[in-house]
Amino acid sequence: MSLTRRHMLASTIGTAACAVALLAPKHTRGADEVEDFLLRLTGRKATPSNRLRLVMPAEFSTGYTVPMSISVDSPMTEADHVKSVRVFAPKNPLVEVVQFHFVPGRSLPRVSTRVRLAAPQHVLALAEMSDGSLLMAKAWVAVATNGCL
Amino acid sequence: MTTPIPRVMVPGSVRKNEVFTVKAIIQHQMETGLRTDSAGKTIPRKIINQFVCRYGGLEVFRTDLHEAVSANPFLEFQLLATENGRLEFSWREDGGATYSLFHDILVT
Repeated sequence: MSLTRRHMLASTIGTAACAVALLAPKHTRGADEVEDFLLRLTGRKATPSNRLRLVMPAEFSTGYTVPMSISVDSPMTEADHVKSVRVFAPKNPLVEVVQFHFVPGRSLPRVSTRVRLAAPQHVLALAEMSDGSLLMAKAWVAVATNGCL
Repeated sequence: MTTPIPRVMVPGSVRKNEVFTVKAIIQHQMETGLRTDSAGKTIPRKIINQFVCRYGGLEVFRTDLHEAVSANPFLEFQLLATENGRLEFSWREDGGATYSLFHDILVT
């Protein structure tokens, strides 16, 4: 078999496809890591959900006071409400950040605060609903300085 | 350390069943227990570890704070105007000290 341009092209595409295939699981592994972290922490499976929103700046100059806003879509009735939202920073020396507790018919699951982050990382929010389900959301935050000293 | 000074911002009056925003802040170092002093000794942890808001005597919002909440912890949250009554805010510090404030709200 002579090595033609066609063969070369085919093999290049093949190699590229392999490389993509090798890279792809790495990406999904990242998502699994987050889920594993929460599973280890809570012992239960959390569902990624867009009903829970964690809003943080993608880049921030200081790790000392990073703004954070959380909201959950919920009717907040006795039958269907958010019990609490926990926030974790897996790359911080102490991963637990804060936990908010809400009361149906009295408070809304919308809250803002400021937090410390030690390193660029995915910050995780975990909402516990009244039916026992766990919703999850994450936000990537690149801080320029370590705020955990 | 200076005495923590709590402050809140709440509207004076709200329409019944409307949502209103509360901003609560306390001047506090939030010493994480991760730092060392010049002699290399660990500075003990002293943080505000809990914030509670009561409305007419009933707990309506609570926050458990850990080391990763910034110094001078600030919270903005939303409540439903259910009745005329007193809003009480209390911050609990490591060691058991609490700092409190109250605010009467007129619901029309």
